[in-house]
Parts: sequence; structure tokens; C-alpha cells
Amino acid sequence: MMVRALSADFLKIRGRGIWLLAIIGPLGIIALQAINFGIRYDYLTKLYAKDLWGGLLENIAGFVPLTLFLGFTLVCSLIANVEYQTSSWKQLLALPISRTAVFSSKFALTVIVLLMSCVLLTLGTIGLGLALKFDAPIPYMDIAKLGFYPFLAALPMLALQLWLSISFRNQGLGVSIGILCSVFSSFTWKAQDWMPLKWPILAYEGDNPLQFVMIGLICGIAVLLAGVVHFARKDVD
Amino acid sequence: MSEFVIQTRGLVKEYRGRKAVDQLNLEIKHGEIYGFLGPNGAGKTTTIRMLLGLVKPTKGAIRILGKDLQKEKLSILGKVGSLVEYPSYYGHLNATENLEAIRRILDAPKSRIAEVLDIVSLTKEAKRPVKGFSLGMKQRLGIASALLGNPELLILDEPTNGLDPSGIQEIRELIKTMPEQHGITVLVSSHLLSEVELMATKVGIIREGRMVFQDTIERLRRQAETGIRLSVSAPEQALAAAQEKGYDGVIDGAFLNFTKLHNKDVAVLVRHLVENHHDIYRVEEQKKSLEEIFMRIVGEGAAS
Repeated sequence: MMVRALSADFLKIRGRGIWLLAIIGPLGIIALQAINFGIRYDYLTKLYAKDLWGGLLENIAGFVPLTLFLGFTLVCSLIANVEYQTSSWKQLLALPISRTAVFSSKFALTVIVLLMSCVLLTLGTIGLGLALKFDAPIPYMDIAKLGFYPFLAALPMLALQLWLSISFRNQGLGVSIGILCSVFSSFTWKAQDWMPLKWPILAYEGDNPLQFVMIGLICGIAVLLAGVVHFARKDVD
Repeated sequence: MSEFVIQTRGLVKEYRGRKAVDQLNLEIKHGEIYGFLGPNGAGKTTTIRMLLGLVKPTKGAIRILGKDLQKEKLSILGKVGSLVEYPSYYGHLNATENLEAIRRILDAPKSRIAEVLDIVSLTKEAKRPVKGFSLGMKQRLGIASALLGNPELLILDEPTNGLDPSGIQEIRELIKTMPEQHGITVLVSSHLLSEVELMATKVGIIREGRMVFQDTIERLRRQAETGIRLSVSAPEQALAAAQEKGYDGVIDGAFLNFTKLHNKDVAVLVRHLVENHHDIYRVEEQKKSLEEIFMRIVGEGAAS
């Protein structure tokens, strides 16, 4: 049942700029680092002489949480807005499909769109390193870790953001909260480890990244289930 | 299995202590076009949302096509097509894509899209983005979406709201064909009797959340009873004289109004008044329009 909903959802987001957004996010990070390394090439290559790729990844990692949360906010809001714009919720939910399937399908859609961003970030990082002519073997594992671990650790925030966007017709609320999260996520190095906003960076730079990926997955599913339960009971106006 | 396509028992919906729908018993039989009438805010849309499982009733039971809505919601919704208030559509997609988005969920055959577009005469506009459609076309697209799953029951909430007269007529003609040509039972709501009376076989009138009339349109018409109005020289004395004969009327200025008079009664009454030396200037027949009856039912509903 969810597959049918998902296939309808893919059709509905056509031409809404959601895919474009998913491309702009990772490419933006890569472009920033291209400028950073382009302008300060000699200085940075000297600074990171021992580990050029590591230096690049560290610089990119600084922007990943912010971009992730901003991306979550916009993608969720755009996807919810497709149904809100002309009050299509009432039409959609009067179809013979369970609300669990409808909500899960929207979540799956955001995950698929954002996974594409992760792939692009990974490929973009490799591309940038090669373009900068780094004279060292490519650390594929580390690059992929940076591409995917922070996203997986941030899944609870994605589920929360989707619930906000779908539950409240006024997208201002979800977007405001999302932007606040993005801003705070840049200053989390001082925060406690239990703060979900810090998980994306802990899932890359922490002592035990995999632990935060697991926590992210488990909490993500928990928040998703809570969202589904609420959505299934809610009156649709 | 009950003979009703829709049957509700003691349906109640409360919003913060206010009853939007109160003890509603809807009864809709197979093949009917049921006109669901009431002023704005009477609870029509809330009722329809409950029938579609969009809103949970506070109390009461809903049976649709012989099944309990709460227990078998998805299997019921598979046989119901709906259009709730203003049309829902995805403006950036064209008509075919809009229907495709719904078809994918219904898992209906692809060929059905062309069929429903043909039923609502939108085949020529199929490739245009829907945001450029007129309201009437959007409304027709909404009906096409409702028909997509080959429903046995069509629930249309104010399908003619905001349309111009020709648009209203188009939708009306379309709805009229549903029971005959497609075997579909239709529930259509409206706040205007005039829109419904030309297509409905049965009407339910709701006021402040309560059903105040539910019967065939003929029964409603029969309530459009004729009255006789007499213009006489001295109304009060004339009324006293009429009462002697057992005819109870009402004084209305210089007029006497009588209801439920047969031709013979009129003759007897007039003769009696003339014999008692009353001058009769005029004998008029008064017929209440359906609209007046509707207004009266809606107006006095609380009492009945």
C-alpha cells in the first residue's frame, strides 16, 4: 500500500523544486570548499600537508549539520505544502489508503530525496579532491562516512520536522523551528552529547560514530511512529 | 445486510463542547440522489467528513454499503468517490497527471483515466496545467477523480458552490446520469434547495446539526399546500362567521387566510359569508414555493 502512495508522491513533487533543492545543498558545500581551497590553496595545503583529504573532509564537515537541518526543513515543508496548497489532504485521506501508509510514504520520500543529496556530497567530495590534485590515496570509507553517517544520525530531527510540516497548515512554525535548529547545530561543539542537534557531527567526528548512527536510526523510527500515531488519529479539516 | 447505502444512527460531533452535528440519522437507499440541505454552518460538511472517515464522530454509528465504517474503513472507501467542498487538485500538474496521482493509490486500470475525463467532458483539456482551469472545470475534474475508482456511492459536498448558472446546470446534468447510467447512489449537499430539487429524489434538511426533514422530494412538495386568501369588508366579524362553520383562519391585515380548503369548502365558506352580508372583494389562491417551505423548515427547525 505504501508503494502505491510513494509512486503517487513521486508524481506530485514533479516540478516543485524539491529535487533541485536536493542538488543545491551538497553542491553548495562543495562549491564553498572549492572557493576556500582555491583562494588559500598554498596555505591550506601546507597546513594539511600530512593529510590533505582529512583536511578537506574536516572543512566540509563543518558545514554538513547546518546544511542537513536546513535541507530537512525545506524539503519537509515543500512536500507537505504540495498537499496543503489546495487542501488535498481531504481528498487524499478519503481514498482507500491507510493514514499510516500516507505518512510513511511522505517520510520515505524525504529520506530518498535526502539520500540523493548524500550521494552527491560523497561524489562531490571525491571530485573536488581530485580537482585539487591531492597527491594521496582517496580515503573512500572516510568520504562515505561523512556523506551518510551525519544524515542517519539526524533522522529523528527529520521525522520531527516532517511531523511539524504535516501537522500544521502554517508552514511558518516548522520552518522557524527548522532554521533555529540549523543555526544552533553550528554551535553544538559545546553542547552535551545527548542533544540530537549534536548527533550528526558526533556521527562523524565523535569517538564512536557508529553508536550515534544507531541511536539516530532507533530514535528516528521512534519519532516516526509517534508522528504516524498522531496523524492517524487527527481530524482532517 | 441493510437496504441502506448510508445509514447513520445517533451521529454526534462535538467541537469544544459545541455540537456541530447532533443525533443525526441519515438514511440513503440504493439508486437515490439524496439532496443534503441546510444553511451554511448547519453541519453538512462535518457530517460528510465523518462519512468519509476524515473526522471521528464523538458518538454514534455509521454504516456504509452494509459495513461498519469504523471497522472496515478502507474497504468502504474503495467503493466511495468523494468531492469535499472546493476542489482539491495539484495545480502544477495537468488533468491527466492529477488523475494519475490518484489512480496510483487506487490501483485502477490506466484506461480509466480517459474514461472519466470523457464522462466529465475534459478530454480536450487533459494536457493543460490545472491551475489554469476555470472553477467549473476544476469541479468537473474533482468529479472525475471521484469516479476514478468505479464507486458505488458518490459523496459530493457543495459541488456547485461558486459556479455560474451554466456550470451549475452542467454539474446537475452530470449528477443526474449517475444512478441510471452507472448505477451509482449519490449524496449531494447544498445550501440551496433550488439546486437540489431538480435532481434529488430524496432530501434531508439539517439545521443546527439536527435533521429536521427527511423524505422524498414529492412529500416536501406536498407540504407546499395551497391556501385561500379572502379580502373582505370586516375581517374580524367575517372570521367569527367562518368559525361558526368550522373554518379556522388567520387575520392578515384586511385579509383572511385559510389553509387546507377543498373547492367545496371554499364554496360553502364564501356563500356563508355572503349570506351574512359580508362583502367579498377578492378570493385568491396562495401557493407556497418549495423555497418558502425550505426556509420555514430551516427557520422553525428547533421546534420540530
